[in-house]
Amino acid sequence: MNMYDSIQAIVDDANEKNKPISELIIEQECQLSGADRETVWNKMAKNLEIMRAAVKRGQEGNGVYSATGLTGGEAVKIKKYREKHQTLSGDTMMSAVQNAVATNEVNAAMGVVCATPTAGSSGTLPGVLFMLEKRLNLKEEQMIRFLFTAGGLGMVIANHSGIAGATGGCQAEVGSAAAMGAAAAVEIAGGTPEQSSQALAMAISNLLGLVCDPIAGLVEIPCVKRNAIGAGNALIAADMALAGCISKIPADECISAMNKVGRGLPASLRETGIGGLAGTPTGQAIRARIFGNNV
Amino acid sequence: MGAKYRSVFDIIGPIMIGPSSSHTAGAVAIGRVAHKLFGEPMTKVTVHYYESFAKTHRGHGTDYAIAAGILGMAPDDQRVPQAPQIARRNGIDLRYVEEEEPSPIHHPNTAVLCISNKHKKILVAGCSIGGGAIEIRKLVVEGVKIFPAGPLPIVLYVDHGKKHPNAVELTAEVEKLAPFYRKQSMRGEECDIYEYDIKHYMNKKTIDKLEADFDNLICL
Repeated sequence: MNMYDSIQAIVDDANEKNKPISELIIEQECQLSGADRETVWNKMAKNLEIMRAAVKRGQEGNGVYSATGLTGGEAVKIKKYREKHQTLSGDTMMSAVQNAVATNEVNAAMGVVCATPTAGSSGTLPGVLFMLEKRLNLKEEQMIRFLFTAGGLGMVIANHSGIAGATGGCQAEVGSAAAMGAAAAVEIAGGTPEQSSQALAMAISNLLGLVCDPIAGLVEIPCVKRNAIGAGNALIAADMALAGCISKIPADECISAMNKVGRGLPASLRETGIGGLAGTPTGQAIRARIFGNNV
Repeated sequence: MGAKYRSVFDIIGPIMIGPSSSHTAGAVAIGRVAHKLFGEPMTKVTVHYYESFAKTHRGHGTDYAIAAGILGMAPDDQRVPQAPQIARRNGIDLRYVEEEEPSPIHHPNTAVLCISNKHKKILVAGCSIGGGAIEIRKLVVEGVKIFPAGPLPIVLYVDHGKKHPNAVELTAEVEKLAPFYRKQSMRGEECDIYEYDIKHYMNKKTIDKLEADFDNLICL
């Protein structure tokens, strides 16, 4: 059994077999792991349950706050704002942002999350998915399929580029998550495998070059809010692909470009807490306040 | 070569305690490899951090994650944040060192664990490659240096007294149960060590069978 080694191979196989990408990924997982379909399915259902719990926890009551106090409570702020105002970018968009921020606030507070593909980018996919649940009236089965599609395409990204901020910057984390979410959103909305691939390509292109610059090395600022743009970017790319927009650069070449851009980033912008926002006077002051000056 | 990520659950998952999949969940995984490889109570653990791990381990909870791993906890165990205190309460002399030089195994998220008790000493050099996945790029067991390809699973067999030249039987069984893409043999003074880099993830049944059939065999 060989794993899919490119986005194009997945699209071709889906077209040839007339199956959705999610189905191909479920079959691949059964073959690779030797586990039966039910086991594989239930494992993904469990991941979905954890994601749902984190989204819920982050927006209940006054919200959750990290131990440092740097992040927290903003998912609730967005929720209240949505209740009382007509939002500028539309209520569905802001509900995706709310879900994304809620998840990452739980993560920053050392709560339980499902890494998708990483913990720092764990808000992006749920941001998209739980908004779509309401908007498209999704059943649990469709939501689980969303995760298989996202994960299967994410494997290609991870193997050909990487998903660690320390090696590829935030583009590899939130960028990858947005690309996975965009492609999965297309499938769930009834788009073609080719359109999923287009959405993935556009989502990666839109966040290419994004640096990983956590203040004090904490997965808080700017990570929590970066997931808001991850979710928004996923939805925009998915809508554009469904509209028939085409990325002139194929998905696999976008992935390869992301890899090269990541390798070209200096260490200060790859999860060292040195450059970018971490290097600003305020970023340095926060670091000194939390850890003292001897770092 | 095996791909680094071989399951959809490497990407959607793991379920974990925040905040970082590479610096927390991955660090737990590196600790768990050391826990399994050592296989008995330890009295001293020194963790050497390099590059991104050295710069951000405090912010990312890497210290408690590694400690949780060496105690054998899972990444979603609620006790993960208290692990260093639990380790010290269990009599483990636990230390963390921030190294200035580049990673000896060429990855920004590197932790090198030196673990010992009165009569045993090992070294585990692991890196966290993202999303909770790890590679083990160097091991020292019984004074013998081993350089696996990196991605798990890794099967390790220590032949004390060199009683099984070339581990012919074992190699055949590994090939049958868990195909590998590379095999290495290392000659120590008192033992031979065989290391297999396995193509796909192994299920529990396969691991149990291999570990039951061969003494001193460990599936990492």
